[in-house]
Amino acid sequence: MSQAHQKIQPQWWGKTAIGVFLGLALSYGIVALIVWFGPDSINTKLSDQRLLWKTQFNMWIVTPIWMLIVSFIYMFKTTKQAFIYLLSANLIIYTIFFGLRSLL
Amino acid sequence: MKIRADIVRTYQTLHTWTGITTGLLLFIGFFAGALVMFTDTIDQWSTPPSKQFAQVSDGQHQVLLNHVLANEEKAINAVTLHYSDNHSPITWYEEGNGRGVNVNEQVWHAGFNEHGEINKELSQVNHLSGLLDYLHQTGGIFGEIGHHLFGGYILGIASFLYFIALISGLIFLLPTLVKSFFALRKDKSASRFWLDSHNLIGVSSLPFHIVIAFTVFVFAFHDFLYGGLFGVYGDKKLFPEPQKSEYQYNVKELPSLDDIKAKIQVYAPGYQIERIALSRLNTTSPSASVNITHPREMMRGPTTDFIFMHPYTLEINASSIKGGDQGIWVSIVSSLFALHFGSYGGTLGQWAYFVMGLLGALLFYTGNLLWIEKRRKQKQATQSKSSLVLAKLTVGIALGCICAISLAFAATKWLSLTSLNVNIAYLWLYYSTFFIVVIAAFIKGPSVTAIYTLKASAIMCLIVPLNSLLAVLLPNLGLWHADSFAEIMLEVMALPFAWFFYACANKVAKRAYKGDKNSVWYVSEKTANTTNEELVIHS
Repeated sequence: MSQAHQKIQPQWWGKTAIGVFLGLALSYGIVALIVWFGPDSINTKLSDQRLLWKTQFNMWIVTPIWMLIVSFIYMFKTTKQAFIYLLSANLIIYTIFFGLRSLL
Repeated sequence: MKIRADIVRTYQTLHTWTGITTGLLLFIGFFAGALVMFTDTIDQWSTPPSKQFAQVSDGQHQVLLNHVLANEEKAINAVTLHYSDNHSPITWYEEGNGRGVNVNEQVWHAGFNEHGEINKELSQVNHLSGLLDYLHQTGGIFGEIGHHLFGGYILGIASFLYFIALISGLIFLLPTLVKSFFALRKDKSASRFWLDSHNLIGVSSLPFHIVIAFTVFVFAFHDFLYGGLFGVYGDKKLFPEPQKSEYQYNVKELPSLDDIKAKIQVYAPGYQIERIALSRLNTTSPSASVNITHPREMMRGPTTDFIFMHPYTLEINASSIKGGDQGIWVSIVSSLFALHFGSYGGTLGQWAYFVMGLLGALLFYTGNLLWIEKRRKQKQATQSKSSLVLAKLTVGIALGCICAISLAFAATKWLSLTSLNVNIAYLWLYYSTFFIVVIAAFIKGPSVTAIYTLKASAIMCLIVPLNSLLAVLLPNLGLWHADSFAEIMLEVMALPFAWFFYACANKVAKRAYKGDKNSVWYVSEKTANTTNEELVIHS
């Protein structure tokens, strides 16, 4: 119960590491969903020209998602909390991804 | 807007440290980047006019191309036809290939002389804009990893931190934003003034900065990001495989330029062809890349859009404009490039990016000054070591870069008159000036170094238009004067820079000699005098 009122702990290195690694994994997870189930999915037949630009688009969007996650990771009160939330988010996203892929 | 106090404090710390660690590197990137907006003008201005040929009427390009392909072996591997007004109509490389910065790059220009004969002229590629671009991309950190610039990776990492600095700056500013955004409180204290200008610049150009931060990271690390996509794609391929051909093409079968142009006109109506680069003509994989421009469309390259096609079959493989079956993706990705390069909105857009780039540099500079000002011990003369070191680094690196670039501009035409390799000379000039200023900042202190460096930079900027005056008054020197609107503008623009540097020098002097004694900037009259004398003796 004191957890709720607790102030943000600095814990810079721990949070940064979680933002950088788990955040990157999460970004790729989100992009994977877009790649496989979004518009012009790579599972459909794309013309060479369309594939060329769609892949570039997919590469571009990893970074802004990742940067935003890292920027807001310091809102978590502790490293432990950041870890739990990001790990859960990763599990959810990747479960959805592999679940949907097994349906293909 | 209310934000919890601990969040504000957390993000304030984050902003301070991400800012302070990257500010000076980004300063160089932004200052050089602002100047790079005018690459074409800078190159035109710094290249001796005697080495160039006049542009020809449209049909003459074919005559030149046939002649060059028949007589020049190197041209068969790579030759470029130019259609813009201020360029020789055809060029090919003797040495180098136009990619990256190669100090020994030599290029042949060809065209018609006054008797209508085809002539060629070998010229050293003047890389003044190349130097700026290199500083823009690396911050001046040299070295290469694989085919990539080492400094590029460093700047990529810096831009990630810079993105965090932007977001955190915004977060901790939000509670007071409305109240103090447009306030520029000059009278309160130095720290207030720097804070207000820092916030004003930062908030008003925030979208620009966010785009720059994120595109720089992608430019630097796209290989790694594609590497990650391999995992995501699984067994699907990322890119279409290049079509392989067994057929050995020969330049004798090359279609005419008119055929290529007709194809482009159909694919990209309304676009102007700026240049056509033909390469590997006698191989199984020849290619033609065509740079096209449109005054009202976003462009993907720094100054143009492009179309890649097969020079023999005229099949278009890829382009950066809407067309073919590229979907909306080409527009989105092209916009991201355009937003970084400022290659939309024509000349006005270029100027806007120039101004925002300079303001960006100022943002980082004021950020460092703020850090020093905030930690100033107001009741004692001795300041903390970290404040002093940062003051020295800020002055040394930022002003060292400015002074070195100004010197390169002042010296370029003179260097062309000597037998020196201009591009190697640039590097020597740049790095020696830069390091002298950095060392001076540590030996002579930040204020004295700032005053002298700013004055020297002002003089260099004044020399830029004076060179033209000299060229007119003393034509025997062999200098050449600015002879187009763009070139004259370049020299005129050197004047406000000169004025600004001079005004800043006076401000620093005022603070150093007459300002608050309890500051890293303060220089007592006594030390000031000896320093002046010493400087006189040394110079």
